[in-house]
Amino acid sequence: MVPISYYVLLSAAIFSIGLFGVLTRRNALMFLISIELMLNAANLNFVAFSTLHGNLTGQVFSLFVLALAAAEVAVGIGIILVLHRNFSSIDVTKAVTLRW
Amino acid sequence: MVTLNPFDLVAAIPLLPLMAFLITLFAGQFAPSLLPKRGAIPGILALSGSLLISLSLILPVYSGYSFNKSAYLWAKWEVSDLHFGFLIDPLSALMLVIVSLISLLVFIHSLGYMNDQNEQGLFRYYAGLSLFSFSMLSFVISDNLLMSFIFFELIGFCSWILIGFWFREDAPPRAATKAFLVTRFGDYFFLIGVVAVLVIFGTANFAGPNSFPVLAKSAILLGQNLHGLNPQTWVTIIGLLILGGVVGKSAQFPLHTWLPDAMEGPTPVSALIHAATMVAAGVYLVARMYGFYALSPTTLAVIALIGGLTALLAATMATVKHELKQVLAYSTISQYGYIMLSLGAGGYVAGIFHLTTHAIFKALLFLGAGAVIIAMHHDGDMWNMGGLREKLPVTYWSFVFGSLALAGIFPFAGFWSKDEVLLEALNYGLGGSPILLVGYVFGLMAVFVTGFYTFRMVSLTFHGSPRSKAAKDPHSIRWNIKLPLVVLGILSLVAGAINMVPLGDFLGSDISYLHHWLDTAPLDLTAHHYHELLESFSGYHSAHFSSIISAILSLTIALSGMALAWKIYESPNPTESGTIYSTRFNTIYHILTHNYYQDDYQLMIANLIRNKFATVANLFDQKYVDGLINKISSTSLSVSNVIRKIQTGVVTNYVFFLSLGLLLILFVFAVWGGWF
Repeated sequence: MVPISYYVLLSAAIFSIGLFGVLTRRNALMFLISIELMLNAANLNFVAFSTLHGNLTGQVFSLFVLALAAAEVAVGIGIILVLHRNFSSIDVTKAVTLRW
Repeated sequence: MVTLNPFDLVAAIPLLPLMAFLITLFAGQFAPSLLPKRGAIPGILALSGSLLISLSLILPVYSGYSFNKSAYLWAKWEVSDLHFGFLIDPLSALMLVIVSLISLLVFIHSLGYMNDQNEQGLFRYYAGLSLFSFSMLSFVISDNLLMSFIFFELIGFCSWILIGFWFREDAPPRAATKAFLVTRFGDYFFLIGVVAVLVIFGTANFAGPNSFPVLAKSAILLGQNLHGLNPQTWVTIIGLLILGGVVGKSAQFPLHTWLPDAMEGPTPVSALIHAATMVAAGVYLVARMYGFYALSPTTLAVIALIGGLTALLAATMATVKHELKQVLAYSTISQYGYIMLSLGAGGYVAGIFHLTTHAIFKALLFLGAGAVIIAMHHDGDMWNMGGLREKLPVTYWSFVFGSLALAGIFPFAGFWSKDEVLLEALNYGLGGSPILLVGYVFGLMAVFVTGFYTFRMVSLTFHGSPRSKAAKDPHSIRWNIKLPLVVLGILSLVAGAINMVPLGDFLGSDISYLHHWLDTAPLDLTAHHYHELLESFSGYHSAHFSSIISAILSLTIALSGMALAWKIYESPNPTESGTIYSTRFNTIYHILTHNYYQDDYQLMIANLIRNKFATVANLFDQKYVDGLINKISSTSLSVSNVIRKIQTGVVTNYVFFLSLGLLLILFVFAVWGGWF
């Protein structure tokens, strides 16, 4: 059996990649993809620890996360559409009217 | 057979007027049609009941029974239990009769003074009177100092309601507030005194083996050290503190200024306040705890000097007043000065005696003044009166009886009591306490002035020729006014019989009944016991001066005062110019009409203190209270000016801060968890 530390490291790596994407990319679609990566890193943790402890709660929870991710994508794409209509671009650094 | 204990009904004495108060108040508010005579009836019935019960106590008390019982424990305190209770001894039994009798007569008089004059809102008036009687009766039967204090305050509150009864006019509410505030000033000291008694002696009971006068006495005898001071010092301090309340309520110098203003209230209220309730409460308190005061010669000397000074000053102020009721107001102050002088000079019995006779003749004079004021269509200025003798014979004769009693003319009640007061002051003054002689001289001078102002008042009001339209055609008065006058007129002629010391000495027989009456009390409350305390603790020794010579002396002085007033004012059209108030005495006249500038300087002090206090309070408010709030808002404004810069609108920045926060939390957990 694969030791748990591998799963944890993998999930940390995926999360960091997602975070890096959110911090550096300007394209809103890339944002969505990066967030997807972070969510799945969390899912990986859930499933790994669930298997380790022989407890199904973590796996059930990962299903919830999947559902949430689907909903988030739907809303996110809606926002991106509106963003494109208003600013005729999906560059997040352009849409800065909501500021002090 | 069921035998009724004479003291079973004691609780009903104050509770009947309380019920009358509640009935009058609620029926008057919600069902006025159910209230006959617009509220007077419940009060009259209740006070008749109180009077009967009080009278029924006289025989058992005279047979030597007394009643001292805690009725209701309302708070347990580690220092002392606080309770309401009853103490019926000769002193309180006598006072109960006086208070309920005078209150009843005032109720009857009010039928004429208020009802017949179509006053509005009378249920409020009668409810106030009932509550007033309730408070005073409860005060009289109190068995401990704290209960006394509570009802003392309630009396003050009732006087505020009643003096300000005509609250739509300008002057009465002011007078009411003044009376309330001035007496309250004295009551602050009283309150401190009550707390001191509770803390130091652990009890506030007046009577019994565990009462504070008895404890104080044994502490002095044993030379105990109480809370770092010797007990005699404590007795003096506490005595003077409680005296503060007495001086305020009994309108003694320098807190007498409220009483003349209180004349703004309805005249029956003035009669009640002056004769039986409010003003009497102060001196009654001194008499109630006389076993305590007798332990401190300093306090006694202060009481005697305040009393003597007040008697003289107030009497002189009464000589120049124009209003009938004002003259009576100052005479009340002066007469209570005599009572204080007597109590301070060791004349416990004489003080009670003068309290009793004064209650009768002062109630008579006020009710008589009420009758005159009705007859004069509510004009109280004596210079507009004159010639009322023929038109109001009943009022005239009863008023003259009252005046003779007030001036202390043989054989009226005031003669016997005032004479005994002066005799006691002289006796103890000559017997080794020379400071009392100062009080005696003041008192003797006041006798002359009293004779003068009393007959100035009678002459101006009733003699001579009418000086106004109202005096020519006075309003008629009815039985409900005359009845109390006649009752009190007879009493003021005969009430002196209870203690005729000079006559007894003349005949060589012992007829000082009041003295024997007060000696039937429980051991620690008798006049005899007080006398022993005075001798052993205050060094008071009687010089046994001849009571007959003293009586003749004061009678001569009173008669000469009367004669002077007669000479000046007894003419068809009396005038004050060209007489003693001419230019020669202009300065004195001026000072007297301004009441020795007492009001002015007290107002000045009050304003000074208020202004200083207001300045400091304003400064504190502006600088610290407002300052704090302003500082908070300005700080949060400037801080937010800086912090809002992070709201750039760029999502990436927000995510950056979020990640930073996450890292921070991880770092904290790491340190917490001991990773480093």
